[in-house]
Amino acid sequence: MAIITQQKTAERPAPISETSVLGWLRINLFSSSFNTILTLVMVFIVYLTISGVLAWGYLDATFVADKRRECYDFSLTGACWAGVIAWLDNIFYGRYPREELWRVNMGGLLLILWMIPLWISRVRGKILIGVSVIMFYPFLAGYLFTGGEKSWFMQFMVTGAFLAFFVNMANMLIGLTMNTSMDKFLLRLIGQSEAPDKTQRNILLGLVVLSFVIIFSVQSSWIVDGVSWTKWGGLFLTLVISGIGIASSLPLGIFLALGRRSKLPVVRVLSTGFIEVFRSVPLITVLFMATTMFPLFMPEGFFLNKLVQVIIAVVLFNACYMAEIVRAGLQAIPKGQFEGAHTIGLGYWGTMGLIIMPQALKHMIPNIVGNIIGLLKDTTLVSIIGLFDILGMLRSISKDVPWLGLHKEPLVFGAILFFLICFSMSKYSRHLEAKLSAGNKH
Amino acid sequence: MASEVKHRIRPKEKFNFFQDQRVRSAFYQLLTAGIVGWLVWYLVSNTANNLQTRDMSTGFGFMDVSAGFDVEFKLIEYVPGVGTYFDIFLIGALNTLLISFFAIILATILGFIIGVLRLSNNWLVSKVALAFVEIFRNVPLLIQIVFWYIGVFSLLPTVRNTIDISFGSERVLLNNRGLYMAWPVPGDTFWMTALVFIIAVIGVLIFRHRAHKKQDQSGVQTKILLPSLAAIIILPLIVYFATGMPLEWDVPVLEGFNFVGGATLAPAFLALLVSLSIYHAAQIAEAVRAGILSVNIGQTDAAKSIGLKSGKVMSLVIIPQAMPSIVPPLISNWMNIVKNSSLAIAIGYPDIVSLFMQTSLNQVGHAVEIVGLTMAFYMLISLIISGLLNIYNKRVQLVER
Repeated sequence: MAIITQQKTAERPAPISETSVLGWLRINLFSSSFNTILTLVMVFIVYLTISGVLAWGYLDATFVADKRRECYDFSLTGACWAGVIAWLDNIFYGRYPREELWRVNMGGLLLILWMIPLWISRVRGKILIGVSVIMFYPFLAGYLFTGGEKSWFMQFMVTGAFLAFFVNMANMLIGLTMNTSMDKFLLRLIGQSEAPDKTQRNILLGLVVLSFVIIFSVQSSWIVDGVSWTKWGGLFLTLVISGIGIASSLPLGIFLALGRRSKLPVVRVLSTGFIEVFRSVPLITVLFMATTMFPLFMPEGFFLNKLVQVIIAVVLFNACYMAEIVRAGLQAIPKGQFEGAHTIGLGYWGTMGLIIMPQALKHMIPNIVGNIIGLLKDTTLVSIIGLFDILGMLRSISKDVPWLGLHKEPLVFGAILFFLICFSMSKYSRHLEAKLSAGNKH
Repeated sequence: MASEVKHRIRPKEKFNFFQDQRVRSAFYQLLTAGIVGWLVWYLVSNTANNLQTRDMSTGFGFMDVSAGFDVEFKLIEYVPGVGTYFDIFLIGALNTLLISFFAIILATILGFIIGVLRLSNNWLVSKVALAFVEIFRNVPLLIQIVFWYIGVFSLLPTVRNTIDISFGSERVLLNNRGLYMAWPVPGDTFWMTALVFIIAVIGVLIFRHRAHKKQDQSGVQTKILLPSLAAIIILPLIVYFATGMPLEWDVPVLEGFNFVGGATLAPAFLALLVSLSIYHAAQIAEAVRAGILSVNIGQTDAAKSIGLKSGKVMSLVIIPQAMPSIVPPLISNWMNIVKNSSLAIAIGYPDIVSLFMQTSLNQVGHAVEIVGLTMAFYMLISLIISGLLNIYNKRVQLVER
């Protein structure tokens, strides 16, 4: 006998043991007796760790004190954050003159403002913005940080930087409000949007030259006090070294990688040798090489300061790692892409620059971000050869008389700082990777 | 593709010197070689010039000069004032290899455990493993090393209040001067125990080989683990007791202000060992996790469906298939451990960089030779390790299509 009903049987909710909190707990924490024991042991360990850290770092900690002794008066077992707080300026800026700190902040702020348009989808001309950051920003920042008299080249580059910055900002505003690019907007403003291409170009070029001249004459009277590099330090110095390291090792790494994959034997052997030598030795040996051997390499009477030596060493070292990342990215591109590019008549640089690199860079992003994080962490090594980067500053707190022997707290503070920076960067890169590969699916 | 180009029939065209591929390639290569050659010549001539004007000697003669400073931690005989800079180089190299060896073993074991825990179906366990990995991966190794040294191992109780971590037998002691361990001193007849041990190991290897062969041919599994362990442990023990326990323990004893006797590991060694192991365990754990995840989920289902328990699924089915993608990053991590052990310089462990590249260089100069030798040492290690990787890759590739 068959039972046939006209209606669908009513849906029943999943059993409460599967959906409720209890169900989740049972599945994820207490699924077997072994798992139960494991969970209980873990709960105990986590409880011990968190309560210990909380008691040391917050509940028993001292935040306001003038001396380490006063921390002890308050609590013997807690952390003495007062020392770290008193040294915050040193940790971030080193011995940079206190009344000039705005220059460092301004440099950071300019960079952030400059890069913001890259994240706004309505802004046009992102590649130009990226190129302008790499080409002009270092000179503007370099002048802000060092100051003093400007050479004619520096004047030129600083002017270019200001021009690029203002155009970039205006372009962002125009993109946001009118959803168009700046050049189109300007042409429409003076009623020339229908004019032939050549006229348009000449008008724009004229505007650029005009504003360049205006900015040049304004900036020539803008002079800030000189600050010697020996006063640089703290997180600021760490970011300067790793920033230059990243910005210059990527292009250098691309050339080395192309050299290693080249069909020309001499180029290939030289690039491979260079890459492998630097990849097989630790960074600290390269830094020692820079400080002991670079002075011998220079012609007589020519002297490189320690910061420049360190930066050269970091760039050379990191470029080799970047080269291997780029090479791996290039290997992931199917041969058909090279052949396709050849059939439409592109030469070597056309193929690489227009077809291969844009695709390969997408594959490389996670590894490049990983490399940037690694470089940021490795930059702490410069404290070994006597530069006062963030670690150097953190370690000198314990030699400051009021805070004599305060070792742990500064190191923990530095660790938290690095964790926040590196962790958020790696999270963002994973997000970026997911976003980019989403567009790749058919 | 190269062969296609060769066999392509070219239309007869006029030879154009500037457009010809061979001419261009030769030109670019000559150009590169020229630039690099000029750069090298420029640097070398500057260096030679500088060395001459500063009246500095060159050559490796300094390696035979006796070094005046003492080294706290050394594996070979060395007397300050008698031992040469070559001895210093050897001591440093051996110390680097020693710390790297132990750190590699610890980091690999810890990394595998954490990598597997990361994939546990127990939510809490996997999250704790995740927290471990993220915390230790994102903090610079140098900060970790200094923290373990200054914040942990230097803050241990003083010699007076030494902690006994061998449950009251006073064989393993820990204080702020390091870890003191009782050290075995073999007696006259101890060689017999050692000999029996070696014979037992060889016997077990043969036994295992036979058992595997038998399983391949007939499918019958032989119990290997228990009999092997019994042979390796019990046989030497019998001989050991029969020959009258010829093993003395050199126990650390408090004499004056310090412990004397036994083996000592300095706080710097311990700090470096712990921080290197943990930092690289976090990296290795990620490699292990990625490798296990790269094995198709169907393999787990299939293994379960033929009735394997979850432990056996891991050890017999998943891990062997994951190994080809785990081993390359694992070995590059080993290489990084060797390289990162050079951070020892920050806490005064006498490795090759701190002994040879810093102390010796400050004393005798000879920057070019010393930097060159140190780099050559690391390059040699790197060559050996990448050679191992190549051998492994070849073996794995044979199994593949």
